[in-house]
Amino acid sequence: MSKATELHEALGAFDKTTSRWGRITMIMGLFFSLAAPGYLVFFAGLDIEVAGILTAFGALAAVFGVIWIVEPLTYFPILGASSMYQAFMIGNISNKLLPAAMIAQATIGVKPGTRKGELASVAAICGAATVHLASLFIFVGLLGTWLVSVIPVDMIQTVQFYILPTVMGAVVVQAIVSQKAPRSAVIALVVAVVVVFIVQLYKPFGLFSTAVAVISTAALAWVLRDRKTLGTPEDTTAESELPEGPVY
Amino acid sequence: MNFPAALPAAADSNSTDILAVANSPVLWACAIGVFLVIVVQSVIYMKAARLAAPHIGMSQAELKTSFRAGAISALGPSLAVVMVAVALLTVFGTPAVLVRIGLIGSVSYETAAAAIAANSAGAELGGPTYTQAVFGLALAAMSLGGAMWMIATLILTPLLKKGDSALRKVNPAIMMVVSGAAMVAAFMVLGIGELPKSWIHVVAFVSSAAIMTGLMVIAKRVNRPWIKEWALGIAIILSLAITYAATRL
Repeated sequence: MSKATELHEALGAFDKTTSRWGRITMIMGLFFSLAAPGYLVFFAGLDIEVAGILTAFGALAAVFGVIWIVEPLTYFPILGASSMYQAFMIGNISNKLLPAAMIAQATIGVKPGTRKGELASVAAICGAATVHLASLFIFVGLLGTWLVSVIPVDMIQTVQFYILPTVMGAVVVQAIVSQKAPRSAVIALVVAVVVVFIVQLYKPFGLFSTAVAVISTAALAWVLRDRKTLGTPEDTTAESELPEGPVY
Repeated sequence: MNFPAALPAAADSNSTDILAVANSPVLWACAIGVFLVIVVQSVIYMKAARLAAPHIGMSQAELKTSFRAGAISALGPSLAVVMVAVALLTVFGTPAVLVRIGLIGSVSYETAAAAIAANSAGAELGGPTYTQAVFGLALAAMSLGGAMWMIATLILTPLLKKGDSALRKVNPAIMMVVSGAAMVAAFMVLGIGELPKSWIHVVAFVSSAAIMTGLMVIAKRVNRPWIKEWALGIAIILSLAITYAATRL
């Protein structure tokens, strides 16, 4: 057997295993993550209507629908096919998995986008997953309830009451900084203020407020975008950064 | 705050004792299921990499080094996630926090999703209207939202791998403008919508935003990327402390 065919077969086997088992494990993860709310809705004796869930899901789809599709598209060229299933199960892709993959590639001196780079990033993500699962299991799963139990009750009530403004305050700033799109941020701010003001005057509008704000911001950001720097199809990086090697 | 030991019997739609259902054994079993699936996945992937490595001129030592490098670099971000997760335990219960905040999702999307779901039922996250039924609805919405990412990954990965030209013609730069703007708008409207509720809500939002801004500026000035990893956790914990102080005034 020639060296080329041997290489081809070895990588073919790797691609086959990772894509088959990647898909199987992701479907299993999907099952477990949906089984939990499924139990609460149908078997726990709580009064939750499916219509209510559909309404909530519709509101979510209006807000995050585009992101559901854009994120996998964006990360594919960077992660490669094999790591996609890992990354979208473990989460924290941009702040943990991508840096882990890049540090591993730099440590052993391989380029991203090569097959060697792909294997290095798979191993790095496995390493990151091990640490992540262990730390979550120990500090949140085992010790979390105890940690919470030693905190005074009135402090816990503060957390419960004010967690949303606290999280959103920091997250808004983080999102603005990471997007590096000041124009969109200003549009979003103006739209959000207007929408919240309308909600204050007319409460029933509150149901649609997030969706309306998101859709109008997206539309305005698109119409008012900086046409000099964006909008040419040549900007796409997907073509050049795709991992080389056999495609199956 | 009480943590009942025997849980399933405690279900009551109108009770605000969220943890009675949020820590139920079935939810724990599902969370452990997700953990095990990821463990199995990692083992299979590592094995596949070990088999393929020699054929492309990669030594087992290089593979081991990559694994270790990934593990070490994940220490900081993982502990930062743990910090935020512990802060959210009383709102969502341990199993939901493990799966939604720790794995699969992230604190920003999942908290936003839960708030949007609660709003759609005319309730508020964490407040007196946050009943067991609202928690169930919020968890269902968070999980369905997270499922959409997974379904998109399941559908798109094989397509992109085949090099489907139609998908590659989608201009990521343009898509990023729209989805980036959508994301900022969603977080902003949820945050600003909290402001009219009380002056303490204002303190919570403004202090958290200010601390995050400060940390971002410092991270850039001293060029320490780890500050960015920890920024969200630090901002949430510190602003919760400030908010707690404000409630005592």
